[in-house]
Amino acid sequence: MMSGDYKFDTLSLHAGHVPDERHGSRAVPIHQTTSYVFKDTEHAAALYNMEQGGHLYTRISNPTVAVLEQRVAALEGGVAATATASGMAALTVAVMTICSSGDHIVASSRMYGANINLLQNTLPRFGITTSFVDPTDAKAIEAAIQPNTKIVFGEVIGNPGLDIMDVAAVAKVTANAGIPLMLDCTFNTPWLLKPFTLGANIIIHSLTKWIGGHGIAIAGAVVDGGNFDWGQNDKFPTIAGPHYAMDSINFHEEFGPAAFTAKFRAEGMYNFGPSLSPTNAFHILQGIETLPLRMQRHMENTEKMLAFLSAHDAVAWVRHPLRKDHPGHDIAKQMMPRGAGSIIVFGLKGGRDAGRAFIESVELASHLANVGDAKTLVIHPASTTHSHISAEAMVEGGLSDDMIRLSVGLEDFDDLKADFEIGFKAAAKIAKG
Amino acid sequence: MKHQLDGTDIHIATGGRSFDATGNVVVMLHGSGQNHLTWVLQSRYFAYRGFAVLAPDFPGHGLSGGTPWTSIEDMARWVIALLDSLDVPQATLVGHSQGCLVALEAAATYPDRVKRVALIAGALAIPVNQQLLDMSDQALAKAIGIMTSWGHGAMAHMHDNTQPGHSFIGYGNRLMALNDNDALRADLTACNNYQGGAAAAAAIKQPALCILAEKDRMTPLKFGREMAAALATVETNVIAAAGHMLPAEYPAEVNAALRAFCEQS
Repeated sequence: MMSGDYKFDTLSLHAGHVPDERHGSRAVPIHQTTSYVFKDTEHAAALYNMEQGGHLYTRISNPTVAVLEQRVAALEGGVAATATASGMAALTVAVMTICSSGDHIVASSRMYGANINLLQNTLPRFGITTSFVDPTDAKAIEAAIQPNTKIVFGEVIGNPGLDIMDVAAVAKVTANAGIPLMLDCTFNTPWLLKPFTLGANIIIHSLTKWIGGHGIAIAGAVVDGGNFDWGQNDKFPTIAGPHYAMDSINFHEEFGPAAFTAKFRAEGMYNFGPSLSPTNAFHILQGIETLPLRMQRHMENTEKMLAFLSAHDAVAWVRHPLRKDHPGHDIAKQMMPRGAGSIIVFGLKGGRDAGRAFIESVELASHLANVGDAKTLVIHPASTTHSHISAEAMVEGGLSDDMIRLSVGLEDFDDLKADFEIGFKAAAKIAKG
Repeated sequence: MKHQLDGTDIHIATGGRSFDATGNVVVMLHGSGQNHLTWVLQSRYFAYRGFAVLAPDFPGHGLSGGTPWTSIEDMARWVIALLDSLDVPQATLVGHSQGCLVALEAAATYPDRVKRVALIAGALAIPVNQQLLDMSDQALAKAIGIMTSWGHGAMAHMHDNTQPGHSFIGYGNRLMALNDNDALRADLTACNNYQGGAAAAAAIKQPALCILAEKDRMTPLKFGREMAAALATVETNVIAAAGHMLPAEYPAEVNAALRAFCEQS
């Protein structure tokens, strides 16, 4: 390796794994084990004391899962990553790693329903409160920051409203405030945008979506940018001060840029136990190998689908950041020149009932809760993914009752078009009454 | 550990244990553009095995204040001053890369203060090309990127790691970015100007250990072997496939060799 570091496509295939010397396995082996035999008592003690690398129990780490973690860290350009059982587990433990009772979060008001539920309804029971603000308004984010605010959190591409956060502008706000910017990057993936380059500090992924791409395994990850100074103020005493574990370890002083990850693993994985199964890690790794190829095709089909929907008589409205009428069009093009994700939201003439007829009539497009699958997916967010959100929050989140969320897949576009025509015919009947 | 030396705030990693100056003191000296985090997998390991560890951030590096030194001789004097300030009569010096030059200079100049030297990925001289020197001044991030890339071996570039989830390249870049902006330039200047390595090695009578990396592109193996050959009492340990960042890349091998050496009477 004489001329710089490996590029994205190469890392997607190789990062985190070299064939083992004993067996020479080219594919990543599935280490389906709970535990690892210690060489001696000193080795065991060293692992527990974080004196040396290695695995002691799969709740904490696992060789197969570690390959996935190192691959995601490499693709994002982070210092480290930790995989979890789901994206929601990743978010929950990331918040718990930083915040304590009495702390405050500023978060996007236009996010995935479970993200909002966690922050709005669950965490307040543990003394952590959240102010929700427009993610496209850096000044509003700045104004919402309080002395006890410990995180600014949002999605680069909002789910499902597709609002675009100006990451560099918000990162400037958080850097000035001395708090980390944590982003859910599920919809953009590192193929479209590497937010650490714009000043984001922590990245959350649902690996279940585009990164896996096959819809066969639930997984999440937290990636540490290593670019936040946890010791710059007194806001993070459990990271940059004595911790209860390991003789009052100070993660900031001992691990520097990887302080957050060290605490996440030492406390979060130990105490919450959101571990990813080795087999699911293996499944996600199979997906990552083709992430660059799939993302390219996702973007191609999305552009075709946008043109098709925008011109169709049955369609009342279409929203996507590639459309010039999208408020985040310019910043999306600037941040993500290769595309702005493969989610399109639209409404049909005839409203909610027409939308229901469409979803129930299409055959290739699958009606289900996931996004980012290789297959095309559709859903009605108001009655499903965001059904637990209050009416006011729905409006605040830009969710309309007639919205259909479309996750554009990799099928031959002519077949998708034909399938959608069937759905539109069914919708048109409803629209005509 | 926070410490004051000549009016400057100094950070010293002690491996998570309180420092005991009466113990078997091991001082770990980082390389150019590095800091105490070079030793993240050594400081804690040795501190919990009966050693009194000092892994200082040189001035202007890591969590230390002050202005970076621009000569190896000044760095060596500073290390001895650090021992003085902590009432440490004698210590083992462990150097990595530039830290080897500092350890050689200190061991030769202050033989009664240095019990033994361990030299990891070092050489008698570390000349730096003008392009990198200029880059460290005018395009620091690029210089850091190049040094991190060249400093790591093949396994690190594949992001294989004994530390679950850890990226050598990402961590290496961020570690170097923690230092003051003028630290790398000062370090590289010091390395480039230092001509005393051969004379220092010839003067050293204390036991020495050289841990060298087979695939080192910063201080290539043949120069490490020259360094070992110049020392009177030396053990040499070459780690196959390793790159220049040996303490991070192959911590188990480094720690085992270093521990056996430091436990010798």
